[in-house]
Amino acid sequence: MTRPGFVLEVDERTPPLLVHEGEGFRLQKFPLGSQVIYPPDSLPPIKDVTGAIRQALLHPLNSEPLPELMKPGMRLTIAFDDISIPLPPMQTPDIRGRVIEQVLEIAARRGVDDVKLVVANSLHRRMTPAEIKRAVGERVYRSFWPEGLTNHDAEDPQGLTYIGETEMGEDVEISRRAAESDLLVYVNINLVAMDGGHKSVPVGLGSYKSLRHHHTVHTMLNSRSYMDPSHSALHESCGRMGRLLADHLRIFTIETTLNNDTFPKPFTFMNKREWEWSLADQAAYLAGKKANDSAPARIRREVFQRIASPYGVTGINAGETEAVHERTMANVHLQQLVEVDGQADVMVVGLPYISPYNVNSIMNPILVQCLGLGYYFNLYRNKPVVRKGGAMILFHPVPWEFHQVHHPSYVDFFDEVLSETTDPAAIEAKYEQQYASDPWYVHLYRNSYAYHGVHPFYMWYWGAHAMDYLGDIIFVGGDRSAVHRMGFRAASSFADALEMAGEIVGRSPKISYLHCPPLTIAEVR
Amino acid sequence: MIDEIREVARGWRWTRRPLVPRSAEPWQRPRQPREFPTAWARTPPAKAIREGVLRYGFKPVVWTETEPTVEGLDNLEMVKPPVMFVANHSSHMDTPLILCSMPKAWREQTAVAAAADYFFDVWWRAASTALVFNTFPIERTGGKRATTTAGRLVGEGWNLLVYPEGTRSKDGWLGRWRHGASRLCIEYGIPAVPIALRGTYAAMPRGRSWPLKGTPISVRFGPPLNAEEGEDFRSLSRRMQQAMARLWDEDATTWYESLRREADGTTPSLTGPQAPKWRRVWEAGRPPARRGKPKVWRP
Repeated sequence: MTRPGFVLEVDERTPPLLVHEGEGFRLQKFPLGSQVIYPPDSLPPIKDVTGAIRQALLHPLNSEPLPELMKPGMRLTIAFDDISIPLPPMQTPDIRGRVIEQVLEIAARRGVDDVKLVVANSLHRRMTPAEIKRAVGERVYRSFWPEGLTNHDAEDPQGLTYIGETEMGEDVEISRRAAESDLLVYVNINLVAMDGGHKSVPVGLGSYKSLRHHHTVHTMLNSRSYMDPSHSALHESCGRMGRLLADHLRIFTIETTLNNDTFPKPFTFMNKREWEWSLADQAAYLAGKKANDSAPARIRREVFQRIASPYGVTGINAGETEAVHERTMANVHLQQLVEVDGQADVMVVGLPYISPYNVNSIMNPILVQCLGLGYYFNLYRNKPVVRKGGAMILFHPVPWEFHQVHHPSYVDFFDEVLSETTDPAAIEAKYEQQYASDPWYVHLYRNSYAYHGVHPFYMWYWGAHAMDYLGDIIFVGGDRSAVHRMGFRAASSFADALEMAGEIVGRSPKISYLHCPPLTIAEVR
Repeated sequence: MIDEIREVARGWRWTRRPLVPRSAEPWQRPRQPREFPTAWARTPPAKAIREGVLRYGFKPVVWTETEPTVEGLDNLEMVKPPVMFVANHSSHMDTPLILCSMPKAWREQTAVAAAADYFFDVWWRAASTALVFNTFPIERTGGKRATTTAGRLVGEGWNLLVYPEGTRSKDGWLGRWRHGASRLCIEYGIPAVPIALRGTYAAMPRGRSWPLKGTPISVRFGPPLNAEEGEDFRSLSRRMQQAMARLWDEDATTWYESLRREADGTTPSLTGPQAPKWRRVWEAGRPPARRGKPKVWRP
């Protein structure tokens, strides 16, 4: 029986707690009485993954079995989630590859010749051949790369099809190959509650013309939170688009869920509750900390980026999108949901080295903001972990550093836009169109490995709800100039940060530390 | 780095019993019982170290600080190892006292049952007691595992020293008697040798870390008890307690008087007088009368 998540109250018996801070980690003492939100223990993985995939494909939800949907002469497109999930990337074999192989085996037996695979990378950077090979496995890669296995190009005028408008007037435009297929199979990894469902196809295979309707400041401010699709304007919009698509196109959705086995050896202590660390875990922490702190930055990044998670697969569901996603969400909640009583005055998070947009890359200040104020702040249902007007303290060095290939528009956004204003609505109104249509950024997105020109804007909007809601945002150990550029405050230590937060939350604030990763969602009562 | 090691050592209580935050206690997994290995403490090098520590460390200290008298060792000539020594227990000095009272050959071949939850909770305490007293862990909560190691040791020919009360007496009198010792005696067909300790409660009760100087103490070994054909463990336990009570009485009076009282069924109970706690403690704190040669002159 897996232990549920729980809320720890720090007492004198509590050891210092592990806090992530970018490409580093530390032990941090918390004031007595602080709350610490721990995720449930890792769920037991499915032992026979191959059998579970076969079972899902042959007995799908609200759909005919997959073999019955395939016939000779048909056009089959298989789309799959890109490198932004899971985080960290999972140890091979990747579950996407395992699922795709079985889909292709069925297709081969049913005599389907016209098969294409598409990475649903939306406006993200293209995946490199090596990254694609890692995700789909050697057999699939060798059979289809490069003609039959491509990245989605959201700026290819010939490669997009306009489907129509939703009842709310939202344009739906997706990959032409997908839209004109007799069957679109979408293979997803549902790492967090915001993933999957109708968000997969309209976003993953969509274009800027489509995405601009829900990736907006207004949508983000009305998504409370976007980790809770039933209260998320973002997901409502995606739902409308997805249902419109389902009327035009046969979509067979395959969703998978993972457990919380996030860190491999020798970092397994990061998966555990601190007071349960064995002597070996304590030694691993000390050795890892010493080695990490002494290593040059380049080596440090290299080591962290090579971490591959030993995730176990906890669920594989296939069939009609909504029915599948309901099962998927139940699995995600079982693994990540924790009930929390009441809101805190101060929310504390330790931001790790990775976010969806810097796999094999650099986490620049905008991505730090997005991870902290976007993802971490929104890891709640019902109410935020922190009260309105409260403070958020984030541990991260926030280095003023950008990946010049992956994030060219981020550099300009940081220098040009944020130096003028940090107000998401003002930025959206004044600059978004300019960046989204800049031919150089479009060129880099299509031909290099760059995120789309508009992507830094979306990252900034991602944090709009938190920026609007919080009274103070303080980065512990953050580069002052980078933090100030974004309109936040930097503190050199946790004690200083609490002192600074005291200006708005008083001298004895209620503190909640979201102990993440492994991933957890707070159900705040 | 030193600071970090210190932080971890302090946070995880390296030298003390690990603690779980109170609010996390309901969520703790039941601890998988894992026995601290003690076989190394019964190897020749460990034996040699132990003999040195007991003979040249503990014995001079105990015999200097207190005034022990040891009687009844002749009873050991009637038996061959392995045997089960059972004694009343009211002080941390009981074990070194008993071990140092034994002849060397017996001492070297005797292992001591120690509470797993108390003496084997942190590595340094477990290792040091295993080395110095040849302890092995025993689960006070009972269950199948409680006597597994003890049984194995008996099978290997080791004498066992067991305190059937399972813990030090709180008031100096005999506490609840557990049946593990008698079960083992019956299961392995070994004799039980009762030992009555008097004066250790007066010298060093719970809460004291050093014995009260000059306290007279008595260690009295009794004749071995063998389980009779078909005897159950409750009956053997009862006989053990009676034998221990008689030894205690023998120490307080005379051998013959104790035999007479035993025959009459008037041996004083080791559970002490039925009286308020302070009176029981008061009575138990009374040290045995001094024996030996009378002093040449009296003040």
